[in-house]
Amino acid sequence: MPKKILLVEDEEIMIDLLQKKLTQEGYEISVARNGEQGLTMMREINPVLILLDIIMPKLNGFEVMEEMQKDKELKKIPIIVVSNSGQPVELDRAQKLGAKDWLIKTEFDPQEVIKKVKKQIGE
Amino acid sequence: MIVKKETHKKELEILKEDFEDLKTYFDELREILPVSICTVGSRGIVVDINKAAEALIGYKTLEIIGQSIEVFFYPKEDITILLKKIEEEGRIKTKETTLITSNNEKISVSVSVSLRKDSKGNPIGYFLTIINISKIKKYQKQLEIRAKELNKSRTALMNILEDIDDARKIAEEERDKTKAIITNFADGLLVVDKENKIILINPEGEKILGVSGGEINGIILKGITEFPVLNKLIKLLEIKESKDDLFRKELFLETPKKHSLEITTISITRDEETLIILHDISREKLIEKMKTEFVSLAAHQLRTPLSAIKWTLKMFLDGDLGKITEEQRDFIEKTYQSNERMIILINNLLDVTRIEEGKYLFKPTFTQIENVLQFVLNSLKEIIKRKKIKLDFEKPQKKLPKIKIDVDKMRLAINNLLDNAIKYTPVGGQITVSLRHNGKEIEFLVKDSGVGIPKDQQGRIFTKFFRGTNVVQIETDGTGLGLFIAKNIIETHGGKIWFESEENKGTTFYFTLPIKEEFQEFLKEF
Repeated sequence: MPKKILLVEDEEIMIDLLQKKLTQEGYEISVARNGEQGLTMMREINPVLILLDIIMPKLNGFEVMEEMQKDKELKKIPIIVVSNSGQPVELDRAQKLGAKDWLIKTEFDPQEVIKKVKKQIGE
Repeated sequence: MIVKKETHKKELEILKEDFEDLKTYFDELREILPVSICTVGSRGIVVDINKAAEALIGYKTLEIIGQSIEVFFYPKEDITILLKKIEEEGRIKTKETTLITSNNEKISVSVSVSLRKDSKGNPIGYFLTIINISKIKKYQKQLEIRAKELNKSRTALMNILEDIDDARKIAEEERDKTKAIITNFADGLLVVDKENKIILINPEGEKILGVSGGEINGIILKGITEFPVLNKLIKLLEIKESKDDLFRKELFLETPKKHSLEITTISITRDEETLIILHDISREKLIEKMKTEFVSLAAHQLRTPLSAIKWTLKMFLDGDLGKITEEQRDFIEKTYQSNERMIILINNLLDVTRIEEGKYLFKPTFTQIENVLQFVLNSLKEIIKRKKIKLDFEKPQKKLPKIKIDVDKMRLAINNLLDNAIKYTPVGGQITVSLRHNGKEIEFLVKDSGVGIPKDQQGRIFTKFFRGTNVVQIETDGTGLGLFIAKNIIETHGGKIWFESEENKGTTFYFTLPIKEEFQEFLKEF
C-alpha cells in the first residue's frame, strides 16, 4: 500500500515535477491547488505527510497551518513547507505552527525534496 | 587902552600856553602810538617819523629826514601811485606793499596815506601810517596752506565718504540678496553662533520644524529645550565629531508632519557660526522605498519561474524524465549553471532590498567563526583547485572565543570576499586567508594576487551595483552587490570592513568583529 502524500501547491509546473518525482519514488500523490482545497483534502485522504506552499490563492500556507493547529487530528500530520521565500521571520512562524521542515525552491532540487520527505516519514 | 593891551597880552599868553600844551600832548601821543607814522612833504620827502616808525624801519628820525619816502618800499611805484591817487581822489588809501628796513629786511606792511593840509585847506604833504602785517601775512599764508590742506582733506574725505556710500550700497544689496535667498530658499536654514544659539531661521526652516514667528530665535541648541522637535535635532548634532568636517545625517521627524530630512552643517564666517541645512528628502525616500519595493516584488516573482526551470533541468539531469544523450546532458548542464547564476543574482538583489528596507534580520548565535570560514573555504575548494590557486590559511594561534553572529549572513559575507579574491586572481595565483584576535576584536583578512582596484575607483567599491572597470572586462556576470552586502553584514554585527589595493598587484580585504559586551547587547535587538 503506497504512502499518501498531499501536495498543496498552485504552480502547475511544480505540481507536475513533484508529482512525477514522488510517484517514481513510490508514493501516492494527491494535489490541492489552493489552501482551502488543501484543508478539505487532508481531511478526506488523511496523508502521512503534507508538502505545503506558502503563497497561494484562497487560504495561504500559514492560514492552512493555523487551521490545522485547531484540529487535534490534523495537527498530527507532519508538514514540509516548500516555498519560494525563506526569511527568518517566516521560518520562525512556520516552526511555531508545527512545520517540521522548510525548503526554499531555488536552493533545493527535487532529489533533496525526496531526502527530506523520507526523513520525515521515517524511511 | 593899556588895560586893553594888557588884556590882549594875557589872552595871547594863555593861548600860547594852550598851544604849547596841545603840541606837547600831540607829540607825546604821536610818540607813544604803536602805529608807525611818517610825515611826508608834498614832493614825497620825509619830514618826520615817530618812534614806532623808527623801530619799524630801523633808522633814526634824523637819518631819514630829507630822504624820498619811495626808497623804503619795494616796488617804489607802489608808493608813487598811492600818493598820486590820494591827490586825485582825496580819500585815505591803503595798500599792502613791502618795506625795506635798514638791515635790508623785507617786511610786509599795510600803508595808509592821508593828505596833510594847511589851515586854508591847501595840501602840503601826506601822512603815512605803516602797519607791520608780516606776522598777519605769515599767518595768512599758513592759513591758506592749512585751508588748501583742509580742502584737500575734505576732497579726500568726500571721496572716502562716496566710496563708503558705494560700499554700503553694495553691502546692502548683498544683504538684501542674501536675505532674499535665505527667505525663499527651498531648504530650511538655521544659523547658530559659536555658543550654539540660534541666530537665524528662514520661513522654510520654521515650516519644517513647526515653529513660527522666530519663537526659537535665541534658543541654545544644547541639552533639552522646550521644543521636542529641536531636541531631536540636538541629539543628532551631538554625533558630530569634529567641527571641521562637513556633517551630513538623516533625521526623521514625526511632527509637525512626517518628514525625512537630510541635515547638513557647515561652518561659516571663520568658524564663528554654523549653518544648518534642513533638506526635505521625504520624496526621495518615498521614491527609494517604491524602487526597493518594486525590485523586491520583481525578484520574488522571478524566483518562481527560476525554481521551475531549475527543478525541470535537474530532473532531466537526474534521469527522472527519461534517458538523455551526452550532448543533451552537456547542454542542460550549462543551462542549469546559467539558471543558477540568475538565482544568485536575484537572491543578491533581494538581500539588497531587505538591507534597504531594514528587514535584513539577523539571527545571532554563539559561534566559532573559524568554523564558518572553514565551511565557506570547503564550498570553494573545487574552484580554487580548478584555477590552480595556492591557498594559505593562517589559522589563529590560540583558540578564538565564540562570538554571537548570524551564521548564514556571516557565511555570505565571507563568501563574497573570498569569491571576489578567487574570481579576480589569475590562474596559478596566490590567496592568503588569516584569522586572529587581539583581545577586543577578531580580525579577518583575505589577500589575493589579483588585478587590484584602480585608485580612482577605490572610493566607490562598497557602493551597490559598482564594479571596477578592470574586472568588468574579466568577468561579465558579477552583480556589483557582493561587497555592498558584505559591508552591511559586517557593520550590522558592529564590525568594520576596509581594504588595501594596488592595481595589477593584488587586494587585501580586512574586517573586524568586536568581542565586547555592547555588541552582544546590540544584536539582541534583532
